[in-house]
Amino acid sequence: MTVFKTFLKILNKNKFIIILYTVFLIGFGGFNMQTSDNSTNFVASKPDIMIVNYDEEKGITKDLIKYITDNSNIIELNNNEEAINDGLFYRDVNYVIYIPENYSEDFMAGRNPEINIKSTGDYQSSFAEMLLSRYIKVANIYQKSIDNEDELISKINETLSKESEVEITSKLDTDGLAKATFYYNFASYSILACLVYVICLVLSSFKDIKIQKRTIISSTDYRKLNRQLLLSNSLFSIILWGVYVSLSFVLIGDVMFSNQGIIYLINSFIFTMCATTIALFIGNLVSNKNAINGIVNVIALGSSFLCGAFVPMEWLPDGVLKIAHILPSYYYISSNESLKTLEVFNLETMQPIITNMVVILGFSILFIILTNIVSKRKQKIG
Amino acid sequence: MFIHNFKYSLKTLFRNKALIFWTFAFPIILGSFFNMAFSNIESSEKLDIINIAIIKNDDFNNNEIFKTAFEELSDKNNDDRLFETRYTTEEEAKKLLEDEEIVGYMKLVNDEPKLTFTTSGINETIFKYVSEEITQTSNIIKNLAEEEIKKEMIAGNYNIDYESIYNRVIELTEEDNVRLNNVSNSNLSYTMIEFYTLIAMACLYGGILGTVAINQNLANMTNQGKRVSVSPTSKGKIILSSVLASYITQLVGVALLFLYTIFVLKVNYGNKLGLDIALAMAGSLAGLSLGVAVATTIKSNDNVKTGIIIAITMLGCFLSGMMGITMKYIIDKNIPIINKLNPASMITDGFYSLYYYDTLDRYIFDIGSLLIFAFVLIAISYISLRSQKYDSI
Repeated sequence: MTVFKTFLKILNKNKFIIILYTVFLIGFGGFNMQTSDNSTNFVASKPDIMIVNYDEEKGITKDLIKYITDNSNIIELNNNEEAINDGLFYRDVNYVIYIPENYSEDFMAGRNPEINIKSTGDYQSSFAEMLLSRYIKVANIYQKSIDNEDELISKINETLSKESEVEITSKLDTDGLAKATFYYNFASYSILACLVYVICLVLSSFKDIKIQKRTIISSTDYRKLNRQLLLSNSLFSIILWGVYVSLSFVLIGDVMFSNQGIIYLINSFIFTMCATTIALFIGNLVSNKNAINGIVNVIALGSSFLCGAFVPMEWLPDGVLKIAHILPSYYYISSNESLKTLEVFNLETMQPIITNMVVILGFSILFIILTNIVSKRKQKIG
Repeated sequence: MFIHNFKYSLKTLFRNKALIFWTFAFPIILGSFFNMAFSNIESSEKLDIINIAIIKNDDFNNNEIFKTAFEELSDKNNDDRLFETRYTTEEEAKKLLEDEEIVGYMKLVNDEPKLTFTTSGINETIFKYVSEEITQTSNIIKNLAEEEIKKEMIAGNYNIDYESIYNRVIELTEEDNVRLNNVSNSNLSYTMIEFYTLIAMACLYGGILGTVAINQNLANMTNQGKRVSVSPTSKGKIILSSVLASYITQLVGVALLFLYTIFVLKVNYGNKLGLDIALAMAGSLAGLSLGVAVATTIKSNDNVKTGIIIAITMLGCFLSGMMGITMKYIIDKNIPIINKLNPASMITDGFYSLYYYDTLDRYIFDIGSLLIFAFVLIAISYISLRSQKYDSI
């Protein structure tokens, strides 16, 4: 009990750090969780467009604005260039259309006026440009043979109203799954950072030379001491895991009660165990308390950045992903990613996830062996 | 005495391993992580070739417009290429869709496209949009051709050359007559903000150096400080030389980070490097003044002082976009006063304005704010240092 009490004391001293990482998790996990309607119907993506109209809102100009408005999210920014430029840089708006003065008159006169645009160059803006070009192209073609503006507009709209029929096959709650995956990916950072920090601090407190000398000459068997330390550390890991899992039920909801939810739980549990062994290994390796903070940051941030806990895996360069293979977080996160699209649950479809779990367990065993080697070498104190 | 204390302050600062790690190495390590994680984001946001399948039934084989349109849009030599198209049977297409090899497939039924996707998304939307565009083009051709034929008939010409009418109409639809003029600024790479916040972080973390250097001269902090206090040397000289030593240490750290980001990470600072350096120096000064102010005004132990500086720095960096670039924009747009007072944001915004804008107004405002920030904090420290007396320690 003495050991466990000491453990709790140290834990209590460092509760701020644990709270901090948990707040990170809720903050960032929750930040990405704006709810949107989950429907099995097709929902067209809409680029964020801003229209700056120097023309009067009538005739062809009005119809062009209507067409763009129907097919995009219209963003209203202050109409000064600095606000617009900032908006573009931070991707608040993907595409800005400047309709010139007298556009509709010039257009009807066949002068095909030039339109200034600003674009971020990403796919949203490419799509925005497709919309704008489409309208102008159709309008231009009809304008050659139709002189009446109203007739022209109704012809344009007749043509542009032709839509394709769409069928959606997946019945998955893709929105919810994306949220869950993001949450659990981010959790890998919080779990790793929290565990390494706390466990290293606990171990280094026990390894303080004076305390170690006292424990060695005390009547307590060192094996009992080690066992209790291991037990209390594991208990802490499990409690931390429990807290994060309960949080996920609150933040994500429905998805967690599905088959995928169970696998998120199992997967994160195995990862927590692995993180515990990593923490024990580092705790045995490092005894300088001042160094712990640096090590935690480098290890937790490093593996989270490399393995895609913050930035989705699909956006990471291939080279980085190759390096990431040597880190357990990679296997944990790739399981989470594949859960996003997993629809049928059987041995065949589950195989990659099971392999990943086995690899993570393998890492755990490796770290346990390494810990034993290190602690064996460090047994003698002078 | 000035030189003597300066020399030894430099030595003690450079030998403090934990300090050097946080102010020198940590920003570089974090920068490397940023680089690995973010280097691909922007290129992956460019429109990629979309993998699709088309079901090769009779409807499709007989529809020239659809056939040529998709051939053209899938042509490897076409600059505007959008698709990688596979022509398959319906079963094959379903299998491909299940294996996520394609985003969706199209089937023509009575010349009307029917699309099948697994989910909604931007690639799916573009595929749908393009298929509609082709339907719309055929609609235009039909409308215009009818119109032409009607005209010919009204003119009394019953010997109509349908083929030439169709060719004329098709030519009309193929004409590229959309005139757009792109006037956006060229530097649009928003991940640069991450690296700018990193420099801001390094500048402000440098404050810790100032705190440590000042602590060595404070009688209530260190034994050395006690000795300094009772010695008959000018306190002004001692403090000034310590502060100068920490400023120089700080500049070395920021310079290293600068070199690393420019030559290894290839961060783009725009083309006014002199102004960038001036900004970094002003930023470091702001960090230093923060450190000195914390050291002199707060009466607590070393850890608390460092903790306060780290907390201020991290909060400032968070608000200026380090943990999510949009954060800076949200604050700038909605509560601009916060970032006008936040030194991390002044630094970040200064780099941003050099990178993105051609004019210097914003830069001058930022660097001016930094200098005012530094001046105010130094004044506070001066007042609080002057009045310090110890009856007992």
